[in-house]
Amino acid sequence: MKITETIDIRFPKTLAEAVRLQASEKTRGKLLAGGTDLMVQWAAGVPIPKRAVSVWNLPELCAIEVFPDRIEIGAGVTHAFLRDAVQIHRHVPALIAAAATVGAKQIQARGTLGGNAANASPAGDTAPALLVTGGSVLLASVSGTREVPLAEFWTGYRQIAARADEIILAFRLPKKGKAQERFRKIGTRQAQAISKVMAASRILVEKGTIRSAAIALGSIAPTPVRLAEVEAFLAGKKLSPKLIDEAEKLAQATVQPIADIRSTAEYRRWASGRLVRDALENL
Amino acid sequence: MTKRTSQSVRWVGQGMPRVDADGKVRGTTRYVNDVDYKGVLHGVVVRSPVARGILKGLVPDPAFDWSPIVLATAKDVPGENVVVMHDRTMPLIAEIGAEIRYRGEPVAVVAARTPELAAEAARRVRVEVEELPPLLTLQEAIAIFKATPEKLDSMKSQDIVKGDVATGFAAADEIVEAEYWAGHQEQLYLENQGLVVFPQKDGSILAEGSIQCPYFPVHELNDCLKLPPEKIRVRQTAIGGAFGGKEEYPTMLIGYAALPALKSGKPVKIAYERNEDILFTTKRHPVWVRYKTGVKKDGTLTAIECDFILDGGAYLTISDVVMFRGILHCAVAYRCENVTIRGKVARTNSFPCGAFRGFGAPQAIWGIESHVDAIAARLGRAPHEYRRQIHARPGDVTPTGQVLSKENGSTACLELALKRADFAKKLKQVSRGRLRKGQRKLYGVGLAFFAHGSAFTGDGEAKFKAKGRVELARLEGGKPVVDIRVSSTEMGQGVHTIFTQIAADALSLPPAHVRFPMADTGLVPNSGPTVASRTTMVVGNVVHRAAQDLKRQIEAFASLRFFQGAPAELRASQLVAPGAKPVPFAKVAKALLAEIGPASGFFQFELPADIRWDQATFKGDSYPGYSWSANVAEVEIDPLTCELEVKRVTAIVDVGRVINPTLAAGQVEGGLTQALGYAIMEKIGTGKNGLYDAARLQTYIIPTALDVPEYDVKFVEYPYSFAPPGGKGLGELPMDGLAPAIANAVEAATGRRLRQIPITPESIFAALHAPQGGTP
Ligand SMILES: Cc1cc2nc3c(=O)[nH]c(=O)nc-3n(C[C@H](O)[C@H](O)[C@H](O)COP(=O)(O)OP(=O)(O)OC[C@H]3O[C@@H](n4cnc5c(N)ncnc54)[C@H](O)[C@@H]3O)c2cc1C
Repeated sequence: MKITETIDIRFPKTLAEAVRLQASEKTRGKLLAGGTDLMVQWAAGVPIPKRAVSVWNLPELCAIEVFPDRIEIGAGVTHAFLRDAVQIHRHVPALIAAAATVGAKQIQARGTLGGNAANASPAGDTAPALLVTGGSVLLASVSGTREVPLAEFWTGYRQIAARADEIILAFRLPKKGKAQERFRKIGTRQAQAISKVMAASRILVEKGTIRSAAIALGSIAPTPVRLAEVEAFLAGKKLSPKLIDEAEKLAQATVQPIADIRSTAEYRRWASGRLVRDALENL
Repeated sequence: MTKRTSQSVRWVGQGMPRVDADGKVRGTTRYVNDVDYKGVLHGVVVRSPVARGILKGLVPDPAFDWSPIVLATAKDVPGENVVVMHDRTMPLIAEIGAEIRYRGEPVAVVAARTPELAAEAARRVRVEVEELPPLLTLQEAIAIFKATPEKLDSMKSQDIVKGDVATGFAAADEIVEAEYWAGHQEQLYLENQGLVVFPQKDGSILAEGSIQCPYFPVHELNDCLKLPPEKIRVRQTAIGGAFGGKEEYPTMLIGYAALPALKSGKPVKIAYERNEDILFTTKRHPVWVRYKTGVKKDGTLTAIECDFILDGGAYLTISDVVMFRGILHCAVAYRCENVTIRGKVARTNSFPCGAFRGFGAPQAIWGIESHVDAIAARLGRAPHEYRRQIHARPGDVTPTGQVLSKENGSTACLELALKRADFAKKLKQVSRGRLRKGQRKLYGVGLAFFAHGSAFTGDGEAKFKAKGRVELARLEGGKPVVDIRVSSTEMGQGVHTIFTQIAADALSLPPAHVRFPMADTGLVPNSGPTVASRTTMVVGNVVHRAAQDLKRQIEAFASLRFFQGAPAELRASQLVAPGAKPVPFAKVAKALLAEIGPASGFFQFELPADIRWDQATFKGDSYPGYSWSANVAEVEIDPLTCELEVKRVTAIVDVGRVINPTLAAGQVEGGLTQALGYAIMEKIGTGKNGLYDAARLQTYIIPTALDVPEYDVKFVEYPYSFAPPGGKGLGELPMDGLAPAIANAVEAATGRRLRQIPITPESIFAALHAPQGGTP
């Protein structure tokens, strides 16, 4: 059906104005960034809200800042902007690679990192790459800014740790330093593809020994997940073909994927291990 | 392009730009949903919530204000509640007390001033159905067939028999037997279904919209609307793609819209959104096909026995003919003395399947082309060498007894494809399940070779006698124009352009003089539906002959009027006579229009008198002509993830005379891409409650530009000389063979044969990891 409902959309000029609107139930609106998730959902029958508050182009949300140990990426930064921001590529390459696989050029030009995270789809492509940085999310409200570790951000299927009055301000992500990152997506096709499974990793190897490993998968659970058991298994071990075999099997034994329209549970289980292998073989 | 060699054959063979390009590129072309129809009501179909049951009642919500709503039910059907397609079983709309046979079967139609109000009203009708257990899938039907063949509920059965397969099997050294499956495929035209029905003062109706075959509804709704053909007028608006999806389905849509239109006396428009369009319109028929073949050590095929069963859905509609085309393509491309093919259309409680580019042939060719590779493997022969030996060529006799004429470029297609793809060399590099030195992906190359029968099956064209006119009847901006009057519709395939080329050449006028108004049954004779790869070959010939007829009339007039009776000839936009000063066409045409009025050239298509066909026994000449093709697909499979990429496709095509090489190549590339989707992506099922499970573009996956492989498309021309300019069918052929070529390449890459499409990473993974996964 055509959407003819009227939505009262506010366009605050500053973050302060936006958080004020969100503070009161009377003025609070559905946050609207690029709209690439919301518009599709509304057209597909998700109830259309009475009010929306646009955070598109809100200056405070559009910055990327580079600090000695970390970078901070505003929630309103688009995938296209990330893809083209070459200065930061070496600090978070998995995230950049993930952003470059979202939809296709048109969607990347409009879709934001904050929208991808807040939409909290298990198939959100940037989530695993965010997770492996071990970073955090900055949430803004009238009472100020609080920091939530990404590991605690996705609380359930399409649920996040932000309160109704909070706006995602930015992602605070430790640089990878000497660690190596990798992102690999298995999608339904070459573009405009929702993931069947995808993996991101940040692994530090010194003299052939894995010092630390962060590996995250998407589309295999209600939320994006870190493979804690595999990470613990790998830490401190010498990298070898046997180790890779074992890590692949361990990953396959620990994940509990489901079957849906995009893939089968068996394939997802198998592919989870294969993507762990991929991360390790490319070190 | 403007180099003038001889006066005839100037535009045919040129890559002339499409005559409809301007409006489509600029976005000025108006589709039915772009038109602001004043005063129309918007119709919404109320549907059965279950796949099978007895319709007990329709209860309008008493709390809802029904005064602005037109509610039409089976009670409002003016005549007998039946849509007459190829049988008389399907009601237009389900009646209380009758059996609902598929999820989404219409039970009522509501109409209101806005689409929103109509949708709300539709939600306020409670549909009460006493549920019965449904049979939802072809898998279930085939399980029944395998247990007890007679228990299969087949809506239509047809056999083809040549020789005696028992003798053939007795003579064989090897028996190769296997089954192949394919699922539904959605046409996914860009423009959704949509049309408007205008009730007229005299009780007749006028329908206009995105309609591929305007004459179909004229003859299919007479009983139910109680209107004779002349009281049902149908005209097309610009069509944004159809692929068969707007062939028979719009008849039903016209019927649905006509009910509230006739009841209220107001025009009613029904236009689907994408979701409704995917959920509740026709798809390609799923197939199960089993081949049992006998073969001698030297490769001779001694017997082909084949069961070919389509999932027809809940009603027959046109599925019998789809099955006929299917069985006629099950073994037509190979030499074999003993053939038995048994075709059936299984009834299931799913949405009736319908026309889709290829019309049964892709399903048949999917089976046979996979199977020929399996036979070659059993014999230890290379797939291309084996096809060289057994493929059909001029002089060979098809399963129905047709002798192939010289106008079949089968061998040329096969040889050129092998050469251009460097097939023999590439075959040596295939992985067969193990990476070779230097390979990072499993590599495979696969071949498919096939024919597509052009035009209606059997003596269809002989009986139908397509009619068409080419008229000189009007001035446009003071200049005379010639109108092509046939019922063929432009839906993106380029018919408006190529008929313009054909008429221009036949008249010896530049294309700028030629117009091709959109089809309107009130204005054009019935040249038949735009289906069956028949348009270029059959209607193209009608246009050619009718234009020649018009040319003779213009010349006769000019001779008397300008040349004192000396014979005149229309040549390169002038009328010329020996020894006289030429007179420009425009001057002659204006004089003709002013002095004697419009001139009209006419032609009615005939087939050669020696065409024989027996519909009862399926013996004789099953098609007037055949197009041929060979496809080579090269694939890479990532051993890490089983992801499959089709890297290169070579397609050599014999479609007779190529009227417009640019458009023809476009048709081939488009068809190959649609076949690519069929082969490796497009998946939609009716397992749950009979409702299609991939009803959005997010879940129904078709190829994007990035998925398209490198194409090498070349034509070899073996014209159909009986019907100048000599084109054979092109539209469907490119859809037919890529799926098995890819499956054969996957087999070469992995060593496993996959017998179900689409071939996905999941199915490759399952085949590689199952102990007995998919070996032939
Ligand atoms: C054709 C197509 C292809 C796509 N392909 C992919 C793909 O390959 N991979 C993928 O991961 N996604 C894909 N998407 C989904 C979508 O594009 C991404 O999730 C995108 O990043 C969403 O960003 P947005 O700014 O458009 O979000 P919006 O639609 O504006 O918002 C999404 C959600 O986030 C909330 N939100 C937005 N900004 C904030 C904020 N600052 N603070 C708190 N909440 C906020 C909104 O309220 C809403 O709930 C695709 C979408 C389409 C239409």
